Amino acid sequence: MIKKILIIAVIACSFGSCTVLKEYEKININDPDMVLQDKKVDRNVTTMHSYREAAAGANGGKTGGGCGCN
Amino acid sequence: MKIFKSIGFIVTLLLVASVYAQQDQDAVKTYKKRVLETTEVDFLTSYYSQDGDNAAVSGGLGTEELTDFTSTFIVSIPLNDDDVLTIDAGVSAYTSASSSNVDPFDGGQPADPFVASSGASSSDTWTNLSGSYSHSSDDRNTIVSGKLSVSSEYDYFSLGFGGGLSKLYNEKNTEVSVNANVYLDTWNSIYPSELRPFASGANGLANGLFTNNTITGNTNYSPVFNEFSDETRNSYSVGFGFSQILSKNLQGTLALDFIQQQGLLSTPFQRVYFADVADSFIDNFQLADAIEQLPDSRFKVAAGGRLNWYVNETVVVRSFYRYYYDDWGISSHTASVEVPIKLSNKFTIYPSYRYYQQTAADYFYGHEEALSTDIYYTSDYDLSEYSSNQYGVGASYTDIFTKAHIWKLGLKSIDLKFYQYERDTTFSSSIITAGFNFVFD
Repeated sequence: MIKKILIIAVIACSFGSCTVLKEYEKININDPDMVLQDKKVDRNVTTMHSYREAAAGANGGKTGGGCGCN
Repeated sequence: MKIFKSIGFIVTLLLVASVYAQQDQDAVKTYKKRVLETTEVDFLTSYYSQDGDNAAVSGGLGTEELTDFTSTFIVSIPLNDDDVLTIDAGVSAYTSASSSNVDPFDGGQPADPFVASSGASSSDTWTNLSGSYSHSSDDRNTIVSGKLSVSSEYDYFSLGFGGGLSKLYNEKNTEVSVNANVYLDTWNSIYPSELRPFASGANGLANGLFTNNTITGNTNYSPVFNEFSDETRNSYSVGFGFSQILSKNLQGTLALDFIQQQGLLSTPFQRVYFADVADSFIDNFQLADAIEQLPDSRFKVAAGGRLNWYVNETVVVRSFYRYYYDDWGISSHTASVEVPIKLSNKFTIYPSYRYYQQTAADYFYGHEEALSTDIYYTSDYDLSEYSSNQYGVGASYTDIFTKAHIWKLGLKSIDLKFYQYERDTTFSSSIITAGFNFVFD
């Protein structure tokens, strides 16, 4: 499992050399809908998922703390 | 432990690199834009409801009906060009037919796992306060952050703290981050009402609950019950992130989280019924044979990725995938896609779909499936095998000129979303959530 993750990480790191955009070229990348995390309005949905589902983490949400037992 | 040593080494390396980078950057004075121009206020609110027939409180059989109303204020304050303080305060009030059956005999009606009791355990309030502080370097290539949080409800208290470090490279085309969080939680254990007379020093079947009501079925009711001696639950997490701009229209991120939990991981009021113990009842309610017993440690790993594609001026595709596994035997896959469609400069709609599936925990048993000889057991269907589909739709209104005002706060955006969540069991839920973003004049 850890090996697979490391391989994926190395492949992902190789993307670092695939492109370098200047700030003025990032108009589309800077679109609010392109942000690489959940929007604030979705916070309570993510919380619901973390309470009702076993899986948590790797989505920028909470990974511990709180009961969520009701 | 080996993995924690490796993680510790990587974190130390990043911190040392960050300190050296900071020293170099301080020597160069350049124009810098404020990280946050003005104070921003977000108000988030949501209404959630769920139902199902597999309540953990009544051992996997009973109503899961619950409603919750949550409101949160988030205030982000620029302290200077580089530093931002964020205060986050939230209150959540819920009513739960399921948790009302912690004591099903206080409602003035015949006890029944499918009927809510109106007693004290039917509702509660959760409050949360957290503060976070972030500092960006002059060249905005290094961001250091720290946070502190406190949350409380009737039977649970949580204290959390953590920090993070982000480094940007390649003219801010690449970002590498690491964060660590600790939550120190404490239970104030509430047990099912029929088990309390069997606590150490209590009077057992001589208790008024049993003398004032008639036990049917097995009249020699004799549950397995010991109060938990350790009521702490600690969670430690370390997360790594890597984000990359892949083209003018495509960017992605990878995240890897390790979470270790220790302490009381069982929920004290969740009943379990054994297959090899004769059933006892008061009214229509089956008396607990035991409460759930789960190991006092759990190690979780989650690896996820996002890929966002700016298709054109109208359409963006946001995708997410996550693989998760833990040492309780659960593995899961999560995949979601959201397609924001811009109708105009101000209005965007957000259709979305999410799929989730998980395997069962090694300790999960359905109603009356566990044996009294088992060491660990739970009938919490949140730990069972299932898959779910979630359908969502949303809309947002954005006014970058903030024409509408409330006092000195200009309204910048309104987001409204609705999600319907369906498991392949009896469980379903829905949530409507709204967010209002204001900027201070």
